[in-house]
Amino acid sequence: MHLLMIGEVVHQSEDNKTSSSPHLSAMGVTVRFGPVVALDDFTVEIPRGIIGLLGPNGAGKSTFIKASLGLVSLDKGRISVSGLDSQLQYLQIRDDIGYMPEHDCLIPNMSSVELVSYMGKISGMSSKDAIQRTHEVLDFVGIGEERYRLIKSYSTGMKQRIKLAQAVIHDPSLLFLDEPTSGMDPNGREEMLDLIKKIGASEKTVIVSSHILQEVELVCEYAVIISNGKLVRQGKMEVLMAGEEDLQKLTVRGGEQAMTRFIDALAQVCEIMDRKEEGWNQIAFTVRGCSDGKRVFKLAHENGVQIRRFHPDKLSLEDVFLSSFKGGGAGGN
Amino acid sequence: MGINPIEYRPWKGQRAAQNARFYVIARSILNHKIKSVGVIILLALGFFLVHVSQILTTVFSPHEGLEGDVMSGYMGDGILAVFAMLLAAVLTSDLISGDFANSSFVLYFSRAIKVRDYLIGKTGAALIVMGILCAIPPVLVGIVSIATQTGDDYWHSAGILGRTAVAGTLVTVFFVPYGLMISSFTKRKSYAAVGTFMSFFALTLVSGIFSDFDPAWGVISPVESLSYAIDWIFGFGIPTEIPGAGLAAFIAMFIVVPSVIVWMKIQRQVIGK
Repeated sequence: MHLLMIGEVVHQSEDNKTSSSPHLSAMGVTVRFGPVVALDDFTVEIPRGIIGLLGPNGAGKSTFIKASLGLVSLDKGRISVSGLDSQLQYLQIRDDIGYMPEHDCLIPNMSSVELVSYMGKISGMSSKDAIQRTHEVLDFVGIGEERYRLIKSYSTGMKQRIKLAQAVIHDPSLLFLDEPTSGMDPNGREEMLDLIKKIGASEKTVIVSSHILQEVELVCEYAVIISNGKLVRQGKMEVLMAGEEDLQKLTVRGGEQAMTRFIDALAQVCEIMDRKEEGWNQIAFTVRGCSDGKRVFKLAHENGVQIRRFHPDKLSLEDVFLSSFKGGGAGGN
Repeated sequence: MGINPIEYRPWKGQRAAQNARFYVIARSILNHKIKSVGVIILLALGFFLVHVSQILTTVFSPHEGLEGDVMSGYMGDGILAVFAMLLAAVLTSDLISGDFANSSFVLYFSRAIKVRDYLIGKTGAALIVMGILCAIPPVLVGIVSIATQTGDDYWHSAGILGRTAVAGTLVTVFFVPYGLMISSFTKRKSYAAVGTFMSFFALTLVSGIFSDFDPAWGVISPVESLSYAIDWIFGFGIPTEIPGAGLAAFIAMFIVVPSVIVWMKIQRQVIGK
């Protein structure tokens, strides 16, 4: 009984360690291509879950992904994937990784069944398993009878789905998706994001590199922002997107005199940080210290103005992204 | 788009075929090559023009046993070498250039596959098809000859059959690494095929021009050097004006140097810088 209890405690602590330890980490990584420094002393710890890898063109996102796969040699530093060194143990790492490249990489003279099962077999699956799993993943990504047609006849959206299918055929624990919605129509994008969420829900780490911030905002739990090969900011989405504490956004509509009276009264109870005329007798304020909503509504009622919007200040990922390039620091602050 | 998407289901199976990755590549390429019209036409033409007449001659003309001079003449007269050159150019043209053109290297090398396995797979498939034209038919001719021989010295015939197999293997292997090398220099299949054949042709032309001044230049012609090597395999000496070391060096260089260049090029492609 006593032994069993000790065993349970040990097992529990190991589980905690596994779930909290980073799946991927980089320590002082520098990668140069001739005179161009793609990654510059880049250090990051990426936890498990669905992670957004953000940055402008040429920021070093794809280089980081390739370096993690051992496809690019490092000039300095170390990348560790599930505790394995990307330069020394790249074969073991690749065995448990799925990669969906950004650019077109499919073999056009194969059907998607042929290609996906071929990739499964190259990943070490037996022929029987690879064929069975191929049909499963093609069903999952939404490729129907088209799976027997040659890939060269596919639309861009279908090719993106095949790229995702070949990346998950061997059920890797870590998935790199480089611009997964590139070239897809709005419906296709939505479906692709849904697929990513579903994969993430099965306890996989999914790293999504994308330019489209709204998409990252929809699916990711954590974001890493890179610029010029350096880490600019990282953190949980809710932390990154939380606005400054005790700031509220208030939008009010009313006549000129009523508005003047309201502003005077409002200034008595909280600090007006910013004020923007929106036209149609409507003004948007950024205020501090108005957490007592009832009081603000009472003031509006007394002064004859309408409150159109009143909510705590929350940033969009675009705000976070833009502010990151105006001197934001690492750590999600 | 097709059927409704389903939930993601993790795969619970075991991956037990990691050591067969090169075999998977070879099998896939072989499946595509033996369905290729160009390859089928070349195989049929080559078989008809090179081997059928020899089989008929062997069957219908009385002979005491399998003789080295007969096999050497049949395998080293240049027609087999020309067909081998053509087939190698067609077979290898898209083996690497295709992956460059489609950028599909990343699909292979984002998986746990070594450059060595990738190249063994690609080369293996090409060699099997080459063997169908260059190694198997001469051995069949040898077997037919032994089966229809009037004499009883079967040991001698078996020895020649062994030499036939060695010569067939040399013809099979001779042009493939060079073709792969040219295929790794371009993204266009047509450039690779024409480039391979034309460079063989250019070497033959240069050899022909300079052989008038010094016969030793004969070794740089792939067809001539292959012919000398086949003569040597069947126990006949090479002409005194041809340097043996030079011939051996050229043959080794023709096989080894392109293999090393291809390996380095893919390695560089995989590492990405």
